[in-house]
Amino acid sequence: MSQQAQRKESIQDTTIVDTDVHLSVPAKEVAKYTDEPYRSHMANTGYAPLPSSGWDRNLAGKIEHYTVQSPEDVQQRLCEEFQIDYPILNATSKLPRLPQSDLAVNLMSAYNDLLIDQYLDEYNHFYGLASLATQKPDKAAEELDRLGDEDQIVGAYIATTGPNPPLGDPEYDILYQAAQDNDIHIAYHGSGGAFMFEFPRQNQSFEKFIEVHTMAHTWSQMMTLSSLLVHGVPEKFPDLNFTFLEAGIGWIPMMMFRLNKEYSIRRSEAPLLKKSPEEYIREFYFASQPIGEANDPTHMKQLIDMVGVDALTFASDYPHWDFDHPDALEQYLSTFDEEGRQKVMYKNASDAFALEL
Amino acid sequence: MTDHIVASVDELEEGGRIITQLNGREICVFNIDGEYYAYNNWCAHQAGPVCEGNITGTTEASFDPESLEVSLEYCHEGEILNCPWHGWEYEVKSGKCLSRQKVQLPSYPVRIEEEEIIVTL
Ligand code: FES
Repeated sequence: MSQQAQRKESIQDTTIVDTDVHLSVPAKEVAKYTDEPYRSHMANTGYAPLPSSGWDRNLAGKIEHYTVQSPEDVQQRLCEEFQIDYPILNATSKLPRLPQSDLAVNLMSAYNDLLIDQYLDEYNHFYGLASLATQKPDKAAEELDRLGDEDQIVGAYIATTGPNPPLGDPEYDILYQAAQDNDIHIAYHGSGGAFMFEFPRQNQSFEKFIEVHTMAHTWSQMMTLSSLLVHGVPEKFPDLNFTFLEAGIGWIPMMMFRLNKEYSIRRSEAPLLKKSPEEYIREFYFASQPIGEANDPTHMKQLIDMVGVDALTFASDYPHWDFDHPDALEQYLSTFDEEGRQKVMYKNASDAFALEL
Repeated sequence: MTDHIVASVDELEEGGRIITQLNGREICVFNIDGEYYAYNNWCAHQAGPVCEGNITGTTEASFDPESLEVSLEYCHEGEILNCPWHGWEYEVKSGKCLSRQKVQLPSYPVRIEEEEIIVTL
């Protein structure tokens, strides 16, 4: 065991659910689960079949490039090294950015089959999020129906940087209906990779990835959350839970209070809502990563308090270069009682995705 | 304070490093330009294995208010230790963190005696 694995006892003694673990699936590997002509396309292409912005995430060798390419990688490098008891895995984040919607639809079931076959079937304590292609909401709904009986598929992973129109649009109602019918909860996830193609044109003039990456996830998630509320999605699908991954938590109080203000003035533009935006947002779940790094740690504690121990879940985002170790969140939880700590480290995630722990 | 023999000098060439367990801690000894430095393998950020990271240079910039030009320089090649987990940069000779003024890797005295590298803990 490395020194890093022999951490605080509090981490070792706590059950931890990690809501955001990324697999790196080579094109050739996913090809095995696709149908022709996509199989040949994926098996033979030298061109990355999924769009990417091409930033140098590893800073010319300053940061190690980790990938997770086998269930043993997840087990050893994440579960054992970081003391994660239940990782919730996702297999790809880029489907909604693919211009070829037929390929995206075919890849959707391919990634999901691969996730089940190569990972979830290997370890009972692994859970998975089904990747959805949002280009064809009816196909995504069919996919959710297909996966409904898979016990270890606990949520649907929807990339929020890319879908057009934004994800509250009634065009996606069929997808949300299928998710609700199958008890598959929703996890939204932004990305820096698609950000440069989307959003206002000024993005395309950012010259440094630090600018893109500071904005991308948060902005995508803010757009998604506004769209959900204004279209009344939580009212239409009251049994669905919504989790927001990888945007940190600093944006949440801002959205609560700003939407409250807008809603008081412009309620007639969001007529499906029956209560204040803040009340809906307090029913959503938010993953901690990337945990903010305030100069004054008491400010982080206040922020966690504002978001609330009922809403916060732990996420590592492993193996990406901005992942968080559980300690990074845990150090801020000392002001909460044991019940609050447990909610954040595993109970909220368990509720959000209806896990059987 | 106890002395620990980590290795003999010919086991640690210039630019190299040795990571070893001393008193339950992972300690790394670097040889940079013939000088020896010892640190905990424990990053100030999230406690990653900082000493296992790549040693590179870094980029510095200066602004000339006359011409309004920014000039970039790639410098300190071989002197910057990058934590492999998230890339926090440290000066390998001082343990100082480049982005956080008050952050410093805990260091230990190293000396050479009779061709042996000795760390005092
Ligand atoms: S743990 Fe070293 S940079 Fe994060």
